Amino acid sequence: MKLEIGNFYVRDIVFGNELSLKDGVLTVNKEEALDFIRQDERITEAELYIAKPGDKIRMCPVKEAIEPRIRPDGRGIFPGYTDDLAPAGEGVVYALKNCSVLVVGRHWGGFQDGVIDMSGEGQKYTYFGQLNNIVLVADTNEDFEKHEQQKKNDALRRAGHKLAEFIGACVKELTPEDTEVYELEAAIRRDPEIEKLPSVVYVMQPQSQMEEMGYNDLLYGWDTNHMVPTFMHPNEVLDGALVSGSFMPVSSKWSTYDMQNCPNIKALYEAHGKTINFLGVIMSNLNVALDQKERAAQFVAQIATSLGADGAVVAEEGYGNPDADFVGCIVALEDAGVKTVGVTNECTGRDGQSQPLVTLDEKCDAIVSCGNVSELIKLPPMETVLGELEALGRDGLSGGWADDEILGPSVRKDGSIIMENNSMFCGDQVCGWSPKTMKEF
Amino acid sequence: MKKAVLYINQFFGQIGGEEQAGIAPEIHEGQVGPAMQFAKDLDAEITHTIICGDNYMGTNTEAAVSEILGMLEGKEIDLFLAGPAFQAGRYGVACGTICKAVKEKFNIPVVTSMNVENPGVEMFKKDMYIMQGGNIAAKMRKDVTAMVKVANKLLNGEPVGSADEEGYFARGIRRQTWLADGKPASERMIDMLVKKLNGEPFQTELPIPKIDRVPIAPAVKDLKKARIALVTTGGIVPVDNPDHIQSASATRWGRYDISNVDALKGGEYKTIHAGFDPAAADADPNVITPIDALKVLEKEGFYGSLHPYFYSTVGTGTTEAEAQRMAREMVPYLKEDNVDAVIMVST
Repeated sequence: MKLEIGNFYVRDIVFGNELSLKDGVLTVNKEEALDFIRQDERITEAELYIAKPGDKIRMCPVKEAIEPRIRPDGRGIFPGYTDDLAPAGEGVVYALKNCSVLVVGRHWGGFQDGVIDMSGEGQKYTYFGQLNNIVLVADTNEDFEKHEQQKKNDALRRAGHKLAEFIGACVKELTPEDTEVYELEAAIRRDPEIEKLPSVVYVMQPQSQMEEMGYNDLLYGWDTNHMVPTFMHPNEVLDGALVSGSFMPVSSKWSTYDMQNCPNIKALYEAHGKTINFLGVIMSNLNVALDQKERAAQFVAQIATSLGADGAVVAEEGYGNPDADFVGCIVALEDAGVKTVGVTNECTGRDGQSQPLVTLDEKCDAIVSCGNVSELIKLPPMETVLGELEALGRDGLSGGWADDEILGPSVRKDGSIIMENNSMFCGDQVCGWSPKTMKEF
Repeated sequence: MKKAVLYINQFFGQIGGEEQAGIAPEIHEGQVGPAMQFAKDLDAEITHTIICGDNYMGTNTEAAVSEILGMLEGKEIDLFLAGPAFQAGRYGVACGTICKAVKEKFNIPVVTSMNVENPGVEMFKKDMYIMQGGNIAAKMRKDVTAMVKVANKLLNGEPVGSADEEGYFARGIRRQTWLADGKPASERMIDMLVKKLNGEPFQTELPIPKIDRVPIAPAVKDLKKARIALVTTGGIVPVDNPDHIQSASATRWGRYDISNVDALKGGEYKTIHAGFDPAAADADPNVITPIDALKVLEKEGFYGSLHPYFYSTVGTGTTEAEAQRMAREMVPYLKEDNVDAVIMVST
């Protein structure tokens, strides 16, 4: 399977008359884009903003991030979700680089939503602080969940995915600045020189813990709670087969942007043919019941050994309960003789003194650690807030609180905030971006 | 200039060897023994040196600590140093003991140094910066330099780096930190993977600590006479959540009177736990806290009696340390009512 990603680099974004990309300047016709968004009758209020690195902008509650893309052959960029079902991972897709569509609630947030700062001390806590962002701030008529702590955010998230494709359309007829080629032939009968190298699978554990539909990550539109692990081509993940959900404390989340650009997959591709033989992706999931966790681990170990994998990398989109799936999967692989590296974040508490994962096993001897969800973060006021900052303390965001005897409220009268890293939007970057690690002090 | 005090034993205090190990603490103005080495680069003046016999500290600990704290009372001190103690066991324990007491009493930073073999390391490493020192006194200059480096950061209010960077024994604290080279997790993953596959040494970023397992309690001897209590981390509370228990990363708990109810009613109780789908628990809180079943079984005489309160907090994201503290706060209520066994309901 061969995927060519044609890259168009966005150096600036402006509002103007015609949706276009010229000399790196992305122009968006705001009214035209908003009219497109309002086609979904659930959207009651919508506005677009531009947020670039260095801007004095804070966003909250942020719900999703998507890379704008288009397929020149007319196929959709999220097959089975916003577009008709079709195989992903093969052919040509165009991508607007250094650029994302962010979706922010106009008023209401929830457990799974977060914060992004575009400048100052807070900028470094998320990947999106360094991107040129088109920000959709909107509200919906989904009153059934307005005051729910767990929100599906369906209308808003879909609006974001559709807007990413709508904006991506401006490069459909253009020639990309450069092209990345991702090609991986069948997992068996490869070039003998490559087959001499140790073979490796990448095991993804996307978020799928909700029993009710509508919250979990989707695979070609299919709820990942309703599947057992399966073997996939890495190109499918890079090409929109996997779409982010709306459930986990958000520093642990992989946004759709993270999946489209999954750095762990790209690093394995980079090493392929040099130091490893990259076989492909085992798409697993995260479950709440013990037998489901054990079943998934058993499937992963079976697929890995059937493929003849010498090594594996396991990455989890979550912490707490999902740590059991993560550790269980690594142990199952190690027991099957597959040398495994794990990628995760930790929950060591505000004082750093708690057990890092809820369950541990000495077989997990090679872990890349990306951050502490419960680290306390204080940030000064920001000139502009997109969304509603009060949501951080009011709506049960996983890293915010209404009040506390010692720390006071998360959102202070002057607009400064104190929060746990838990609510930094996709802050722990277990998908592979993370420049953070954990150290002993 | 800021002011510091150094603690040393009878040997380094130039009073004598083993035969002088029983001497009571004495305080000297100015710098004695190793204090002169510290003074060279320390960003503070060492105003006093305290000398105490190792055996005196070991056998009359309470008196020794109290005498030394008395000597320091009213003095202007910004930093307290002790040692280095090398591999000398009694000296190391003495340094740890007095550093801990001074830190607690005067709330000032303390720094000491010991060899990894010194029993004082395990006893006190969680309480203070103990630099990883040499095994013999010939390492004095090196150990003092290491202590001064961290001490100066503390004196100047600069952040102290990680245990590896600074060379102290890890204090059981794990924090997130930005890598100086910004190397992303994906590249660190590949490096670790290739080394592991090739059988080369590699360094995990999460050394697996000793697992804190709680042994399963012995079975209740006579259930017919047992007093039973119900505790949950499922977040069941009266609908107005009177104790303001957090929905995740909880630090609060509550106990609620169930002596006059046969079951918990939806609408009167709900869950505030944010880590699972609350629909079933809100509709019927007994699915988390089975008061209904316990009341029936109590009437039927299946067990002795039910403690009149249930206890609730939220488990999702809650740290072990907070969970342990909350449990310690609950236990006296249970003991006071002679509870024999607790049903612990998670989610």
